Amino acid sequence: MAAPDRDETLRAALVRGLSRRRTGLGVTAGPGAIWIVLLLIAPLAFMTAVSFASIDSVTFDIVWEPTVNNYRDLVVGGTSEYSLGPLVYKATAFEKAVLLSYAIATVATVLCLVFAFPLAYVMARLDDRAFKIVIYLVLLPFFTMYLVRAYSWRLMFGQSGVLNQVLGAVGIGPVAAFEFGVPAVIVGLTHAYFPYMLITLYASLDGLDFSLIEAARDLGASRVDVIRDHIIPLTLPGIVGGSLFVFVPSVGAFITPQILGQGKVQMIGILIEQRAIGEATNAATASAASMAVVFSIVVAMFLVFRYVDLDELGGV
Amino acid sequence: MSHNNELTDDTDRTTGGRLPGSRSVSRRAYLAGAGAAATLASAGCMGEGGGGTPTINVITWNDFAQDPVVESVEENVDATVEITSSTSSTEMFQQMNQSADFDIAVPNNNLVPRFLNAELIEPVDTDTVGNYGDIYQKFRDFVGQQFTQDGNAYGVPIRWGWYGYAYDTREVPDHEPSYNIMFEDDYVDTDLDGEVIMYDEAAKTMPVAALYLAEEEDDPSYREALTENDRMTFTEDQIQSMRDLLIEQKPSLEGYISSDTTFIQQFQQGNFLVGHSGRNEVIRLQENQDADWVEFVVPQEGAMAWYETAVVSQDSDNPEVAWEVVNEYIAPTTGAELARQGKSPSCNPNVADELEESEAELYGRIDPERFEQFIPFKDIDPDVQEPYNAAWEEVKA
Repeated sequence: MAAPDRDETLRAALVRGLSRRRTGLGVTAGPGAIWIVLLLIAPLAFMTAVSFASIDSVTFDIVWEPTVNNYRDLVVGGTSEYSLGPLVYKATAFEKAVLLSYAIATVATVLCLVFAFPLAYVMARLDDRAFKIVIYLVLLPFFTMYLVRAYSWRLMFGQSGVLNQVLGAVGIGPVAAFEFGVPAVIVGLTHAYFPYMLITLYASLDGLDFSLIEAARDLGASRVDVIRDHIIPLTLPGIVGGSLFVFVPSVGAFITPQILGQGKVQMIGILIEQRAIGEATNAATASAASMAVVFSIVVAMFLVFRYVDLDELGGV
Repeated sequence: MSHNNELTDDTDRTTGGRLPGSRSVSRRAYLAGAGAAATLASAGCMGEGGGGTPTINVITWNDFAQDPVVESVEENVDATVEITSSTSSTEMFQQMNQSADFDIAVPNNNLVPRFLNAELIEPVDTDTVGNYGDIYQKFRDFVGQQFTQDGNAYGVPIRWGWYGYAYDTREVPDHEPSYNIMFEDDYVDTDLDGEVIMYDEAAKTMPVAALYLAEEEDDPSYREALTENDRMTFTEDQIQSMRDLLIEQKPSLEGYISSDTTFIQQFQQGNFLVGHSGRNEVIRLQENQDADWVEFVVPQEGAMAWYETAVVSQDSDNPEVAWEVVNEYIAPTTGAELARQGKSPSCNPNVADELEESEAELYGRIDPERFEQFIPFKDIDPDVQEPYNAAWEEVKA
């Protein structure tokens, strides 16, 4: 009889402890909070501190004397001229890398959206069995490691890649668009992040009340009207969520431009890597570039969340 | 596992049916004794703990981690060698700068001054590195120019190689070897638009631009900036000219390549016709892929040469043994294994005696007079490091 009593006492103590607000909060949110503090906040704080320091050019040690030079150099001293009418701007390598990254990420996001939306729509209308078959077939290639998929694209592109060889055989190629460079990187990123868009859109479309669409059609709305006035507004949170899931990692992509860019596509991830551990090693300038990118993405997300609630992402 | 079961059975028997006059050993005492014995035994197996074989930790290129090389060193030096593979000299510097885990690093010669200035390495123990006197005089001169302080050398050259360019003889006709082929579209009677590859490293590509500009603008100061000091001492104007040249060249490139494997794969696939390359990549291509259509040449403007240089950490617990390991890397037997692994000649010409005739033709001895066409890679002078790095970023942007 003694053992059950002890168990009872222990259980009661646990219940009492967990019932207290502070203890309950500590047990539930504590591990996650520790995780975030140690692996996100602390590194980010350290990176912020380093971005305001400098590096000794002889010993490569961090010199802890506050300076904003690393941030100034991101935007001052550029040599690449861009003109718009009378306006002339000289962009730095960092600015060009950021612009290129945002442009590539935007195109990859739009392509993912264009390819994924019709498929997600069809999947939402399928019965259970057909849905399972389709989702399995769609996701099958993505069980392969990302690096392997990127390398497989490498064989497709290039002056003598599979695509140009086939085009050459039929007398059309080689085509410059199928050489390594920006188009190849866009294809690689679109392929890599397609499932994120698809699954998010599917979650959104799956909650859609299709009787509304039928009602609209019955009342004379054209297909275009239905898409524009009903489907898109109702699935907008899913579209925004999917776009974020594709856009944000695409901006900071490293492996895809490294493998498919053949050294000619300097996206921001590659520039930062070169500064962090490459030849031009300088942790302070790398940190400043990273912080500037983090800041730009936070601003972009802030603007997005002004129009879409966070809890709506992924569903209607 | 079976041993443990037997011991447990014995213990049970001892405690269960004690014989008169026999000495009993309790299970707890037995386990304590076994634990102590195991601790002592494992201490004896763990290197220095019992005064046994010391472990020398080396951060270096993957060739040094290959079994024939490690075995050859361990056969000749009373040490266990632990290799950490690295793909860049910068990474080796960072690793040694951040921790005291490594006894030896083998960066390329251009990075050794960084190790020296950061006070990470100790002078060469010439008594222990007996093979040092056998290496080519030219490399000893390079050491004297690049990393000797107060009469003390701080590194030992191990292997070496040089960079020129390779071309596909099926498409590109014979020509006077010159960097013009990379910058002038009418240098040979073949359309090379989008058919040229450069290295994805400032340290390799910027000197090519400098050597080209030295001839093109008839301005020897570009060459002098590469040769006269222990660092590359370009002026900011020269750096801008090199940057502009490379930016102008970029649209006609197939791309920039940073790994030997990619170079070999892409060249064989036919993605480019002319590639700035190291000689060892071309030997690999010719040996392993039977690519007899590849020709490697040293341009008339000169070629940049590298030599791996072993340095020993100031924090090493076993500096003398570490220098013994370094000495072994340029000893004939181990040096020959290293040469085979990397298809690169040793800095000790005597190593060639250990190579097969066919091997010695490719990476054996070299006529010392040929060294005159080679310029050793150097780190950039700290005074112009920022504009130099910025220029390369702008080339790539």
